[in-house]
Amino acid sequence: MRIEFIHEVASSLRNNKLRTALTGFAVSWGIFLLILLLGAGNGLMNSFGGNVGDYISETIAVEGWYTTKPYRGYKDNRRIQLDQKDLEYTTGPEWEGTIYRVTTSTSSTSATLVLNQSSVGGWLTGAMPAHKDQFKVKLAAGRFINDKDLQERRKVMVISKAQAKELVQGEPETLIGQWVKAGSVAMQVVGIYHTDEQEFRRSCYIPYTTYKTIFDTSDKIAAINFSVNGPSTLEEHKAFQDKYTATLKNMHDVAPDDEYAIWVRNSYTENMQMARAQHIMSIAMWILGLLTLISGIAGVSNIMLITVKERTHEFGIRKAIGAKPGSILRLIIGESVFITTLFGYAGMVIGMIACQIMDKTVGQESVDIGITKIRMLVDPTVGLDVALEATLLLIIAGTIAGVIPAWKAARVKPIEALRAD
Amino acid sequence: MALIELKNINKTYNNGQPLHVLKGIDLHIEKGEFVSIMGASGSGKSTLLNILGILDNYDTGTYTLNGTLIKDLTEKQAADYRNRMIGFIFQSFNLISFKTAVENVELPLYYQGVPRRKRHEMAMEYLEKLGLTPWANHFPNEMSGGQKQRVAIARALITKPQIILADEPTGALDSKTSVEVMQLLKKLNQEEGITIIVVTHESGVANETDKIIHIKDGIIGQIEENTHHDAWGGPLMK
Repeated sequence: MRIEFIHEVASSLRNNKLRTALTGFAVSWGIFLLILLLGAGNGLMNSFGGNVGDYISETIAVEGWYTTKPYRGYKDNRRIQLDQKDLEYTTGPEWEGTIYRVTTSTSSTSATLVLNQSSVGGWLTGAMPAHKDQFKVKLAAGRFINDKDLQERRKVMVISKAQAKELVQGEPETLIGQWVKAGSVAMQVVGIYHTDEQEFRRSCYIPYTTYKTIFDTSDKIAAINFSVNGPSTLEEHKAFQDKYTATLKNMHDVAPDDEYAIWVRNSYTENMQMARAQHIMSIAMWILGLLTLISGIAGVSNIMLITVKERTHEFGIRKAIGAKPGSILRLIIGESVFITTLFGYAGMVIGMIACQIMDKTVGQESVDIGITKIRMLVDPTVGLDVALEATLLLIIAGTIAGVIPAWKAARVKPIEALRAD
Repeated sequence: MALIELKNINKTYNNGQPLHVLKGIDLHIEKGEFVSIMGASGSGKSTLLNILGILDNYDTGTYTLNGTLIKDLTEKQAADYRNRMIGFIFQSFNLISFKTAVENVELPLYYQGVPRRKRHEMAMEYLEKLGLTPWANHFPNEMSGGQKQRVAIARALITKPQIILADEPTGALDSKTSVEVMQLLKKLNQEEGITIIVVTHESGVANETDKIIHIKDGIIGQIEENTHHDAWGGPLMK
């Protein structure tokens, strides 16, 4: 009986091609637009998140900056420099269990990298091994600074792929092991890291101890970087930061309400804010998408209503020769489901293909925003799961859209239906 | 026991002001009869046919079809009885326009749940019986009125119903085709013993049947035994 029913539905659709095509188009178009919209939305979000989020890990960086308020007899606009005491405080018992993976890094010194006839600009930065994880340095070849480099104050360097390409012809990997002149010092390249699209990273990492020996012999610390356990919300992070910096401010004679003297860059909260923005954007996308979908559903419902009206006479004939109300109901809903499934699926596939085309064309284009280039759309595609969910939603909605007209048709008395024309 | 037994059937339509259409109809039709119900328009004959065909319900009285009381049926039961006991022939043929002749003939069997192959075979058999084999895969709009009516007759016959109800079966046909259709019905009645009830306002058509029931103003009038038509010599033939 099932196969008979499918056959009856299929024949009804086949013999009413224009109506089927119009209904199908409404469905396909709705789902196509939805997929395209979600794809573009994803691309935009990936562009925000991808351009920045990829390179920010969960790290809090603390740097000394200039005071903005006079305090304890000092004038304002005084430079604050972190030192060993601050590091001891950070690693000390007060924050045990909360703060972990503490590293220090230096400020940067500009240097021209020279190899044979080639040269490229760069910024030498002293870093510790954990810096790689803290700031998501992604290695393309070789290794990062290690403990031995630190202990022995080796003259080793990790440079960016963009810089490596400038220095050697062909594969940048061949640079590993070679000695490159960085400013006035020769450094051996031990690693090459990936640069992102923007290529804004020009840092050349050298061991922290090496930097402190050659470029900055003071006992000052440019930045203290660490990860934290415990704070998980924006409010908790704010509380942690306030408590952590209060002691530092006191140690450096900075006014408690001076927000700028001790500069804290918290990528945990940055990530959270980013996630929140993305969340809002994705909700907006879904609302737009659902509105599009509703227009598709309205289209189906509208056509079903007209269909039922113009087929009333046919249903009358069917009833006269023995069709039960249920079988009329099933026929109409069956047709509705059949159309939405078939054309919804087609619209989904076309939508996903369109997303792929968008990815290959617009998605590859970068926009120059002055300091760097960014891609407007990164991977503007929709996951199969979301696409299937949306299609399923349309099928369910299509069924509901078919129910009311079908119910009306099933309830018309046979004589009334036969009289209709 | 009579195949069809109507006792004091009353029917009133309530569209604005009540219209008493059938005013106590009593009617007995035996198995194998070939009957016509004749009356002017507005006499209630179509309403009577709709009630006989379980397409409409009646207010008071009783209608027994083949021993089954037809009263207060659900839509589902009514559909089932129509499907198994009654074959319809309409003035305007009422074929489904987007189905071919054979598909139209198959349709009642679809609603009985007969498998596709089986019902196709049966439909082809009936079409052959009515000389329509070459037209099996034609759509209604590719056929003449007479052919369409024969397809409709095949569709009415396929479920082997107790009665065939024909509502002005020749109303949309020319006189030559009308004669052919009436001959066909007569043949079915005589050879297969099928009970046929024809509703008409044309005396020429009524004269082809064995019994003419006159209905006027919702009441059965004269019932005329018609035994002089065997030579196919009614007014219709001239």
